Amino acid sequence: MRGCHRDGTLVVCRSFHEMKHLLPCLLTALLPWAASAEPARPYVNDKKAPENRQDLDAIQHALTQVLPAARNATVCIELGEGSGSGVIVSEDGLVLTAAHVASGVNKDLTVVLEDGRKLKAVSLGVVADTDAAMVRITEKEKFPFVDLDRKDTTRLGDWVFALGHSGGFDKERGSVVRLGRLVRMAESTIQSDCTLIGGDSGGPLFNLQGQLIGIHSRVGVWMGIDMHVPIQVFIKNWDGLLKAEFIGEGPFVKKAEKGKGFLGLATEARSEGGLKVTKVGKDTPAAKADFKEDDVLLKLNGSELKTREQLQETLKEMAEGDPLEFDVLRAGKPLTIKLKLGAR
Amino acid sequence: MSCVPANPSPSNLNSVHAKLIIPAIILAIVAHAPADQSLETAFRTTGPTVLAAFDAQRQVIQKCSAIIYDGRAEAICGVVISPTGHILTKASELKTIKKLGVTVDEKKYPEAKILAIDDQWDVALIKIDASDLTPVAYAPTSAVSQGTWVVANGTTTRTHRRVLAGIISAKIREIPTSGGAALGVKLKLDAKELEIDDVQEKSGAKEAGLQKGDVILAIDGKPVTKLDEVGAVLKDRKAGTIAKLTFRRNQEEKSADVRLMARNEMSEELNRNDAMSGAFSERRSGFPRILQHDILGARSIVGGPLLDLEGRCIGMNIARANRAESFAIPVEDLKALAERLLKTP
Repeated sequence: MRGCHRDGTLVVCRSFHEMKHLLPCLLTALLPWAASAEPARPYVNDKKAPENRQDLDAIQHALTQVLPAARNATVCIELGEGSGSGVIVSEDGLVLTAAHVASGVNKDLTVVLEDGRKLKAVSLGVVADTDAAMVRITEKEKFPFVDLDRKDTTRLGDWVFALGHSGGFDKERGSVVRLGRLVRMAESTIQSDCTLIGGDSGGPLFNLQGQLIGIHSRVGVWMGIDMHVPIQVFIKNWDGLLKAEFIGEGPFVKKAEKGKGFLGLATEARSEGGLKVTKVGKDTPAAKADFKEDDVLLKLNGSELKTREQLQETLKEMAEGDPLEFDVLRAGKPLTIKLKLGAR
Repeated sequence: MSCVPANPSPSNLNSVHAKLIIPAIILAIVAHAPADQSLETAFRTTGPTVLAAFDAQRQVIQKCSAIIYDGRAEAICGVVISPTGHILTKASELKTIKKLGVTVDEKKYPEAKILAIDDQWDVALIKIDASDLTPVAYAPTSAVSQGTWVVANGTTTRTHRRVLAGIISAKIREIPTSGGAALGVKLKLDAKELEIDDVQEKSGAKEAGLQKGDVILAIDGKPVTKLDEVGAVLKDRKAGTIAKLTFRRNQEEKSADVRLMARNEMSEELNRNDAMSGAFSERRSGFPRILQHDILGARSIVGGPLLDLEGRCIGMNIARANRAESFAIPVEDLKALAERLLKTP
């Protein structure tokens, strides 16, 4: 099927500029087919190099056609002190990015749309050894999204384009588009000559049909070496990514270890039950979640708290990023405080 | 292969505009992929076989761009704007040239005069003794779609210009002065007056001859006695413009014209993105309006024309900002600037 598709396109399109007068009728003939099937692969991809103005126009035409939709789905991802890029791949807000941008499972992130609107998001799964990650925008609305190259139609030498928020989000500029070719392909990495820079990490690489074929991961020590995670890595690990699994081991992201989580509260047991907060550490996860001195912790994730040791033991079994829900008594009034365990 | 995973880390904090970014991971390639999975260099975007498709534009670059030499070394490019030898180029790069020489097409012009400089756009007008040059034909507009092909100077021999190609890659916009415009002096902290403690090596203050111990009295005629007053006067000023400084040296009142520079451009430190960007232009911010493209050329291609596929000049390359972003002055602004500079007495 794939070979046939490629060859068919090649033959038909090669005859385009040899028999110019046939162009309009050939195009018309192709239209119903193009609308009903996968978007047509531009003939120019099957030439070793563009040879003339027509070939260059074909690249430009394809790119300018698909660029607006690709750009609308490209996002900036902010977390803590850094930012990277990502791309929305479903109407309900699934985002693909790099594992070193998501930086772990269950992380709170901010997704910034092209128009500057900031949305809450959380990281789902990561593939730590190939730098793939999935993020979900947690706000409910319909988002612009792009299709994946599910059939793996992209080949060495194909013309591709990269989008990303190079150097961070800049509303006046928008995301930056770069054109290049696929120059190396391996199972877990594809390389293009679309030039990437810090802040592009996690951003999308598209073929000229506007399908997502990779996610920006890293750059070489020389110019012209720019690496992407192939979309097939995401497709292969899709279920695990959706279930927020930590897949593989390093080097792009390290698994949170049990017992290394950090809360930042000092407590003492009360005779009538619960733990009284005696100190809230400055700039700790507890302080950021707005705990106050003299708050009384009644329950953690549904279990009643009776001793300090019990709280410590519970936290020791948890890792950075794990969710905590405290039932708290403040000045006699009950409230719930939700937060995530931080890193020491 | 050896991999270094990156952690999110703040970039250079001395810049107001520095975004906090996650640096891409640097990966050194030691092993090579099998040959059949790697595209030969000639067929890559900057390869000769691909660039051969741009021969029509190359012929325009051959005639309408100038190569400006410092002695025997190519320093920058220029845009030919008249048959009689008027050429626009990047002013801040021109200033560093010791032995100015120009080549247009195959001909060498050992004499060139600097006629006028516009500091705001960082453009200089120079003149060589010629009579039959081919000036650029201006494109009707710079408002073209992103993804539109553009062509610029690539490498060159003494007689033959090569080209590089790329696309328009972001919105036309102003590039504000990075980190704000500044004089380039450090003032004594505990002094009652604005006494200069140090003059930065790469600064307008240094160029204007200011020295340690000078006391700043007024800027553009407005008396200043405190640091925040200096800040207030310079707040809305742009890099490249001139501030008239009144100062006291050895009980004598003097004045000097100080070219304001972007704070970032005086800094010696590189952030991580700059460190991976090769030779970027020193002056790369403080432009009223720019057209952005993705041609990744040497710093010396700056100053030359940016062409569309029709071979028309859609802009003038004015800065290589970093490895992913190059800036050009849009044709509308370039035309107006050329007219203005040509009228300079």
